Amino acid sequence: MSGLILAIPSKGRLKEQVDSWLADCGLRPRTVGGARGYLAELEGLPEIQVRLASAGDIAASLAAGDIHLGVTGEDLLAELRDAGGAEVMLLNALGFGRADLVVAAPRSWIDVQTMADVDDIAHAYLARTGRRLRVATKYLVQARAFFARHGIADYRLVESGGATEGAPAAGLAELVIDITSTGDTLAANGLKVLDDGVILRSQAHLAASPRAAWSDAAMGAARRLLGIVEARARGKAMASLIWPAAQDSDARAALAPFAPPGDAPRANGLLVRGADLFAATAALAAKGVGPVSVTRPAYVFEAQSEAAERLAAAVGLEPEPAKV
Amino acid sequence: MKLEGAVPSRVLDTIRAPFLAAGGARLEAPIVQPLSLFLDLAGEAMRERLFIVQSPTGEEACLRPDFTILAAKAHLESGAATGRYRYEGHAFRVAPPGSGRAEEFLQIGLEAFEAGDAAQADASMAAIAWQAAVAGGREDLTLLLGDVGLFSALIDSLGLAPALAARIRRSFASPRRLRAEIASARSEEAPRSSDGGRLASLLAGLAEDEAAMVLSEIWSLAGIEPVGGRSAASIAHRLAEKAASAAAPRLTPEQADAISTYLAIADAPRPALEAVSRLPIAHPQALAEAIGAWERRLAALEQLGAPSDRLRLSTAFGRALGYYDGMLFEIRSEALGAEAPVAAGGRYDSLPARLGGGTTVGAVGCVVRPGRAWVGGAA
Repeated sequence: MSGLILAIPSKGRLKEQVDSWLADCGLRPRTVGGARGYLAELEGLPEIQVRLASAGDIAASLAAGDIHLGVTGEDLLAELRDAGGAEVMLLNALGFGRADLVVAAPRSWIDVQTMADVDDIAHAYLARTGRRLRVATKYLVQARAFFARHGIADYRLVESGGATEGAPAAGLAELVIDITSTGDTLAANGLKVLDDGVILRSQAHLAASPRAAWSDAAMGAARRLLGIVEARARGKAMASLIWPAAQDSDARAALAPFAPPGDAPRANGLLVRGADLFAATAALAAKGVGPVSVTRPAYVFEAQSEAAERLAAAVGLEPEPAKV
Repeated sequence: MKLEGAVPSRVLDTIRAPFLAAGGARLEAPIVQPLSLFLDLAGEAMRERLFIVQSPTGEEACLRPDFTILAAKAHLESGAATGRYRYEGHAFRVAPPGSGRAEEFLQIGLEAFEAGDAAQADASMAAIAWQAAVAGGREDLTLLLGDVGLFSALIDSLGLAPALAARIRRSFASPRRLRAEIASARSEEAPRSSDGGRLASLLAGLAEDEAAMVLSEIWSLAGIEPVGGRSAASIAHRLAEKAASAAAPRLTPEQADAISTYLAIADAPRPALEAVSRLPIAHPQALAEAIGAWERRLAALEQLGAPSDRLRLSTAFGRALGYYDGMLFEIRSEALGAEAPVAAGGRYDSLPARLGGGTTVGAVGCVVRPGRAWVGGAA
């Protein structure tokens, strides 16, 4: 396992989103090998072996150390978190694949809005019937932790492989803990999210397995990959301004509030955060600086990736010497 | 999986002796038990501590984590009114990662389902556990006593509205929630009412069967499919309760103080009980009875040989310890610490009913871990 192994989703909306994201970074994945299509390569980083698998399998492989890097949902990774040992490391949140892990109760229970209400109901149910309220979910670990945080003990989990939201209607459970993005499926099944029932606001993450067998070559490839995806994210979030050289000192004065800390100034130019762009251009205009041209960088590369160095430290490989 | 070291057989004989003297039928129970038995009674928190096994037909089972529930079940199945059961065997619990605790260990214990003087029976159980525990040779043992029922008596004695009293009684098991109730009593802010909104308060104003009918009509108008097994009547009933509780939602600062002071009491038993009886409360009668029961327990314990300088009563003890609903205790060794008690026990009168039995007799028991009692053993 000397070369880097990266796993990406093999199906569904998440696959489309991850493929677009990689392509946008200049790393379009291309399947290789036969018709099966479970192996791929990234354009631009051929040294990385890419495997396609389900989001759930990717989470499990990261936890087991069978792969180095993977893209999957935070909800699936949180479920595999254990108390001891090297946990899967979240490197970058990717901004897509968003969904909330929620506690949902029947809409017809208009007297139940919060977890405190669930506590009351569960207690009364147990006292009256001698049985515990049933909660259907596949997220056993997070369900238990959330209920424990709210001090609720009078319940049972019913493990549910799929179609969890139909469990109450089928008489298999009273409550449900499941992933939801629009809330439509919940409503269609007669369920509502509790006011304080959001367990996790999940999104897709690029994650690493410190437990996997990391070689210098694999870490090198990981650094290159992280460098590129982070540079692309940075580039999209920034704008590059350029002004006439003669007006440089006025421009610097006008833009003092917008320069990122530790920024090394360019000759008659500055990188600002995209969100600050129009405020910056207004400040320049106010100082009489012009014409100012604005371009959006495709990438903004830094010498070091904070995520890569965190990973290297966790894996026990030599961090790159900090560039002064 | 970490195993316990073996205890020398002569030491085991001495530890076992008080249990043999107490009489009772020998309980044999399979090591593999249905998972739902323990989860239904002890809740989901128990799941992490259980070794779960799956039969080829897909049923989930577990390795027995203790014998108390099994004894209660055996007693109910026997059909006898009263019974006493002694057991000795290995039990299995998953240890927290990094704790180094044995996951398979020997337990010797006794469960008694009997009528009669409960306080006397409580003391006998604790005395048996004490004699068995000291037989292991440790000289640094303390008997820590608690009482879930005493807190309940305190709440009765405060004269709270029923809904509030029930809520506070339930929060005993959750330190965080109890703290929140006390903090809310002391804060200046008006209580946040979670009374369910205007619809709920309107329904709460109707007679219950009328409210149930109106609720069903509203569901049908709103296109809400009633799933989840609670009837319109029970939901309407709870709405009425919530409205009532919204009217008297929290403790007064004086009541909150009384509860806080109570929870901080931890001392030798008599000074502790004295501190409890000095609390400023509205209706001392309920509390006086519970304190009287303790006087009798302590007298019996002394008579049965438990040294009074090794006893300690802590009102907050036992808050999250499962199904105990009366007196409970732990015998701790200073060398082993609070996380590794040598023996434990208590009263759990309401458990047999939850297993489907009657509620005519009490239920109290104790268990000793010889591997911990023996001074020559590791933790």
